[in-house]
Amino acid sequence: MSQATAPPRDAKAATPPAKPAAPAKPAPAPKAPPVVAAAAPTAPPIDLKALEQKLKDSNAIGVMTKLSLKNQVDDLVAQFRAFHEGHQPPTLAQLRQPYELLLMKVLALIQDHDPALAKALHDSRDYIWGVLADRNKFLANT
Amino acid sequence: MKTTALSILVACASLVAIAADDPKQRQDLTAVIALQGKPCGEVVSYVAKGDNDFVATCKDGNRYRVYVKDGRVVVEKA
Repeated sequence: MSQATAPPRDAKAATPPAKPAAPAKPAPAPKAPPVVAAAAPTAPPIDLKALEQKLKDSNAIGVMTKLSLKNQVDDLVAQFRAFHEGHQPPTLAQLRQPYELLLMKVLALIQDHDPALAKALHDSRDYIWGVLADRNKFLANT
Repeated sequence: MKTTALSILVACASLVAIAADDPKQRQDLTAVIALQGKPCGEVVSYVAKGDNDFVATCKDGNRYRVYVKDGRVVVEKA
């Protein structure tokens, strides 16, 4: 058939004539073009308090691990508080390393058993750092 | 008679302590020891000494006492 080799611009022409079309069925509505941008809306970052609550609620880690993590988070927050009160060292640059290390520890603990929380935490990495590093945000959030 | 009964009681209590081998608890102790940066690998067994007080034996042979004091988890070499 010469129609089969026609360019596919014309949808009607591209329909194979050998198959008798079912007259009762209406033509399918044209599919909407895929919307790429709106497919995966990014979740808002979680703040420190929300993170603490989510870790408390998570079944991924045991009670003593949770307490130990809380101790380490409290220690780090105390270091940031001292920094914002003007006590140096540690400088902000020096605080980045223990922050990253603690985040890695938490991620390692939860990634297998609570991947959703691990992803949320990973996605909030810079946001949480922004809160800790900025004096006003820090005081408002802790 | 009283001494015998007490001995049996102590023996039973120690048996209970040895029998405490919950995999979740072992995992919890493994994570706590790792969080404190102590060498362990994984906890293969533990003995519960009291509430939130354990002696954990690691795969690499290290033994640690893990307990809670003043709201802080303490890990020290046993």
